Amino acid sequence: MSDNVVKFKGNGTGLIMLLDQNTPYPKLEAAIKARLAENAKSFPAGTVIKTSPNGFGQKAQAAMMAIFDEYSLKLEFSDEALVRNAPAARSEHRAHRDMPAGRDERVEEMLVINRTVRGGEEISSKSSVLICGNVNPGAQIIAGGSIDIRGTCRGVVHAGAFGDTEAFVIADNLMPVQIRIADLIARSPDNMEKRDKAERAFIKDGQIVIESIER
Amino acid sequence: MSQVIVVTSGKGGVGKTTTTANIGVGLAMRGKSVVLIDTDTGLRNLDLLLGLENRIMYDLVDVTEGRVPYKKALVRHKKFETLFLLPTSQVKDKSSINPAQLIVLCNELRKEYDYIIIDCPAGIEQGFQTAIAAADTALVVTMPEISAVRDADKIIGELGRADKDNIKLIVNRIRPQMVEKGDMLDMNDINDILSISCIGQVPDDEMVVTATNKGEPVIVSGSSLAGKAYTNIVGRICGEEIPFMEFPKEGFFARLKRAFGM
Repeated sequence: MSDNVVKFKGNGTGLIMLLDQNTPYPKLEAAIKARLAENAKSFPAGTVIKTSPNGFGQKAQAAMMAIFDEYSLKLEFSDEALVRNAPAARSEHRAHRDMPAGRDERVEEMLVINRTVRGGEEISSKSSVLICGNVNPGAQIIAGGSIDIRGTCRGVVHAGAFGDTEAFVIADNLMPVQIRIADLIARSPDNMEKRDKAERAFIKDGQIVIESIER
Repeated sequence: MSQVIVVTSGKGGVGKTTTTANIGVGLAMRGKSVVLIDTDTGLRNLDLLLGLENRIMYDLVDVTEGRVPYKKALVRHKKFETLFLLPTSQVKDKSSINPAQLIVLCNELRKEYDYIIIDCPAGIEQGFQTAIAAADTALVVTMPEISAVRDADKIIGELGRADKDNIKLIVNRIRPQMVEKGDMLDMNDINDILSISCIGQVPDDEMVVTATNKGEPVIVSGSSLAGKAYTNIVGRICGEEIPFMEFPKEGFFARLKRAFGM
């Protein structure tokens, strides 16, 4: 019976507990206990399980959390469990998690590439990317954070690929085929001149703008 | 110490085979012993450029499959005693030879010859992977044309992934007049993108076509511009410092002639 009342599911970003909306709380609690007794061993200690908060009072929430606590599991009440089938909403959540509220708290990691990235190569990273060399036409750089190129950029660059709209692209010579930041795309003008100054591309008022910088 | 050189480009038609033939003949003219290996199985051409088609008895596939010793398959050039061609099969395809076989063969050849030059097929598939396997040095041939440069870039990346770090560039078929007018990429544009050291700039020359059809590489006569450029490349391969030649500017009469459509 408990099989239909309580379900655990993976949604791509974590585990979710689905509860039958029509079952009254005391019965639910029993079902959860039964399910956990069966399955808790398959979850490593500390695993976070999310469930939708709808309809539960604070008391019920606390009681449920206590049950999970016994098995060293953590129960979180989150709306994410509701919107698991809407991919757009999910990716938004991911972006939030990648970028905690305070910018300083953010774990800054960086991928450093110490060579020229040639046509046909793709560099992909969740973190920021620093390239000491050129990015040639036909190459692609995809970064969760920002991209810094100490050389000429002629390929396709995508900063903030997981939704970070604060990400930017810097290059000594910024002349890419396309610049993508978060979900915005800008393409190069059809005849581009070479400029001698380093430039930075970032999002301003909902579009990608480029300004020259000193460095 | 003998050297194995692969001539490659990615794009077809930029002059890999022509370059291979000319460098081979050039080195032989300096008295070096040279073997040219054609690895463009199924689409072999190198024998034609050298005028040796009618002397082929066995081919590379016969050698790698152990049917004959390589000495039997080598074709000596009719004019240059120290130049040999190892032709490939025209009926088989690229899958008939694998990288390991070519490495074994080249190691055999190293004992007897100064230079082993491998003519690579176009593309980045199996034929390419086989051709580069044994090489110490790669010569990347390109043309001042955006698609050829793009493919050369890709090839340089592939060579890097195959741990070949001695890579040199040859820019073929330059038309000085077009470069001057800004209608063709110049050397700066190409160096900007490819950023590897260049050992040859060869002008586009009608003599190359004539020479190809005659089966005698353009370097032999030595009087043409392309022939001189190839002679310089051979010198640089032998470790000499030779400045790049200046291409003659279009003279007054030539311009006048062109203006009148003559």
